Amino acid sequence: MIALTLSLVLAYTPQEAQALFTEANDAYYRQEYPVAVEKYQRLLAAEQGGPDVLFNLGTAHLAANELGPAVLFLTRASRLSPDDDVAAQLAVAQQRQLDQVVGAQESDPFLQRLARAVDDRPITLGFVAAWWLAFGLLLAFVRAPAGRRWVLGLVTAGAFFVSTALGAVVGVQVWVAQSVREAVVTAPTAAAREFPGESAKVAFEVHAGLLVRVMEDTGRFVRIRLPNALEGWVEKTQVAPL
Amino acid sequence: MARTGSALITALALLAAGPALGAELEFYMTVDRTKVGTEDTFRCEIVVSNAPEGAVVQFPAPPEFEVLSRSESTQMSYSVGSGGMGQIKQVRKFTLVMRANRVGTLTIPPAGLQTASRTYKSEPVKIEVVAGRLAPEPRAQPRRAQNPFGLPPGFPFGDDDDFPSLGDPFADDPAIPRSDSDLFLRASLDRPEVFVGEQVTLSLFIYSRMDLMGVDAVQMPKLEGLLSQDIATPTNLQAEDKTLGGVHYRAYLLRSKALFPLKPGTIAIEPAEVDISSGVYPFNQRKLHRKSNPLSIKVKPLPAGAANVGKWRLSSTVNQTDIALGEPVQLKVILEGRGSLRNVVIPPLQAPASFRVFDPQQAEKTSVSRNQVGGQRTVEYVLVPQQTGRFELPGLTLEYFDPESQQVEKTSTDPVAITVRPSGTGQQALAVPGNPQAPAEPAARNQLVGGGLKSLRHSATFSAPRTAAWRHQAFLPLAIAPPALALLLAAIAFVRSRVGQEDEQSRKDKQAKAARKRLAQAEKVAAQGSTTDFYAEVDKALRSFLEARLSLNVTGLTRPQLDEAMAAAKVPEPVRQRVLGVFETCDLGRYAPGMGDASARRRALDDAAHAMEVWP
Repeated sequence: MIALTLSLVLAYTPQEAQALFTEANDAYYRQEYPVAVEKYQRLLAAEQGGPDVLFNLGTAHLAANELGPAVLFLTRASRLSPDDDVAAQLAVAQQRQLDQVVGAQESDPFLQRLARAVDDRPITLGFVAAWWLAFGLLLAFVRAPAGRRWVLGLVTAGAFFVSTALGAVVGVQVWVAQSVREAVVTAPTAAAREFPGESAKVAFEVHAGLLVRVMEDTGRFVRIRLPNALEGWVEKTQVAPL
Repeated sequence: MARTGSALITALALLAAGPALGAELEFYMTVDRTKVGTEDTFRCEIVVSNAPEGAVVQFPAPPEFEVLSRSESTQMSYSVGSGGMGQIKQVRKFTLVMRANRVGTLTIPPAGLQTASRTYKSEPVKIEVVAGRLAPEPRAQPRRAQNPFGLPPGFPFGDDDDFPSLGDPFADDPAIPRSDSDLFLRASLDRPEVFVGEQVTLSLFIYSRMDLMGVDAVQMPKLEGLLSQDIATPTNLQAEDKTLGGVHYRAYLLRSKALFPLKPGTIAIEPAEVDISSGVYPFNQRKLHRKSNPLSIKVKPLPAGAANVGKWRLSSTVNQTDIALGEPVQLKVILEGRGSLRNVVIPPLQAPASFRVFDPQQAEKTSVSRNQVGGQRTVEYVLVPQQTGRFELPGLTLEYFDPESQQVEKTSTDPVAITVRPSGTGQQALAVPGNPQAPAEPAARNQLVGGGLKSLRHSATFSAPRTAAWRHQAFLPLAIAPPALALLLAAIAFVRSRVGQEDEQSRKDKQAKAARKRLAQAEKVAAQGSTTDFYAEVDKALRSFLEARLSLNVTGLTRPQLDEAMAAAKVPEPVRQRVLGVFETCDLGRYAPGMGDASARRRALDDAAHAMEVWP
């Protein structure tokens, strides 16, 4: 407990973090997966877990056949830095996943795909820059002599168009982030009930590694929605938010 | 049970097949031992010679003894006497197998022979009975065994090898239980003391003097701390004749198991139980339940460092030693011998780094010969060279503890030299064994099969997971600031424009006021008598006023132009005429000084002041 508390408070130096990372990798190669997971988790607890740590952590869970945490951390890594390696690990996890969602949409809605497809940082920075430029040009346009105004007007309109488009993308990202809450089933088996309560009838079961949307939260239970719109209430502890 | 403790008198009609007259009757009783243990059996023989017809033997029935079996035999002999008369001698011998029920000096009471004329009595026999068993321990002596596996020539354990006797089921001479002596279950071990991992054979027999129909159920004991392997589980019971302490039994083998202790110490084996159907169908059928004796094994620890137990030989073969780059090599490592094959760990192959070693495939085949468990394990490695050259696959060495010699032995394979030539296609080939889709073309060996987990990352950026840029606290102010600033600037411009308008009016008012002051100055000049200067001042004052009101530089304008400007400023016609009239008077006063009398100056001054006052 003390070590955990310290790890929460103290950050590792870059050398210490790399050493811990290497120890975790060595434990993984010795097939001591719980040891590797514990070391990666210490980096995460110290807020020093980037996409690489998340990737290795998810891979360690996957090697230990712990599908829930594996999909959780690999998906987090994918959201931070999508690449082929993460996609390959996730494909392996998907092969091992027990649930087959029948009638699922082939892909997410357009706005969600758009929000995930673009990197928020250049889009946000681009929007801010274009937004300021547009208003700066507008000021110049107002103060400019009449003979030069048409050129400035065109440039100003272009800046406004670009900034508005970028702002719309940022707005989509904000909307998706605020309204679409995703989670991964981490329990080996989670009973989805018809309403939040232990006495509720079990409508279906989901298994570790399934990606779901969280639609509602009542404290102990959350309402999840599967990709085919099937919904049920599971205990909150059985899922982990992305 | 049926034959014990009863004082049966068997009537025996002796067939005196013409015994010769004069033959004497003999009747006596003997025992084969005078000192026995309570677990021992002994023979009591009652001999009757030349008994008369109708004689009946009365067998002793002492309560201190148990009669386990009874049998009889008859001998006839013929001899020629001194007078040339032939004599026939008939000897009948009754054999009782007995066992004492208690210790002490016991007496077998005399047997009797009842004839028509009299009753004969034998002498009583004293027996000293001690506790336990006085007879030799019924353990089997070591025997030389044949080749236990029937292995081909060259196998290290040939017929000439010393080999301990293992699991001979009839080497055991079990004690007959005091109850159920007609049918009892006996579990036995072929040795009482073994090493960890050494085989000990557990045998379970039914000994019976009854007619058996079959065995309904066999419940073997839990073998905790032991690894077991079946040696024999007969489905059809085969009887073997067996004499225990002089009592004839039929012995049926029920189960035979090879046990391998997993830890040192004393391991207890609980009794086995069976359900047996006896009798002859459909008569006299009975269901009987029997329980065997418990057993225990003393397990000795292995010497330090010993892990594998048995007697093993390790060998290896390789399919080719001269190969092209990318061509697979198959190395077979064969382990064979006696012992628990499952417990033997073959050290892994330490191939050179220039070889890619695929996971080996293992095959095991266990065998049982003469109750000795053994087998053969084949480990097949597939190695693919990654570079050309000459390499050596190191030999493998297996250490094992041989319980027979009680020493740690070694068996090794020879190292194998492999020459790797450049591939004919010049290709860095990597063949995958067992791939059904492997192309047949030699040039197309390069099957790089994907799948599996990707490798870990070995360098990382140790940063907290980045939050979205738009979640940054500066984002919202930065996004709101431009329109807010624009609105602010517009508001300021609006205010300033409004304020600027007021200033213009004020400026004009000030300018008009200054013009009026100038008129007042002109009056002073007029009082001093300078007419030219007076009109110049009036002209300047009026022009200043007009410039303030019209926001126009009126210097240089002709009078029509001035009139037009005033008309544009919506100055009423009377005011315009009055202004133009003042300018006309000033011109005359400046350039025709004679025209400038006091009344004219007064009128010019009044007209200018009036025009300023009524200016809209």
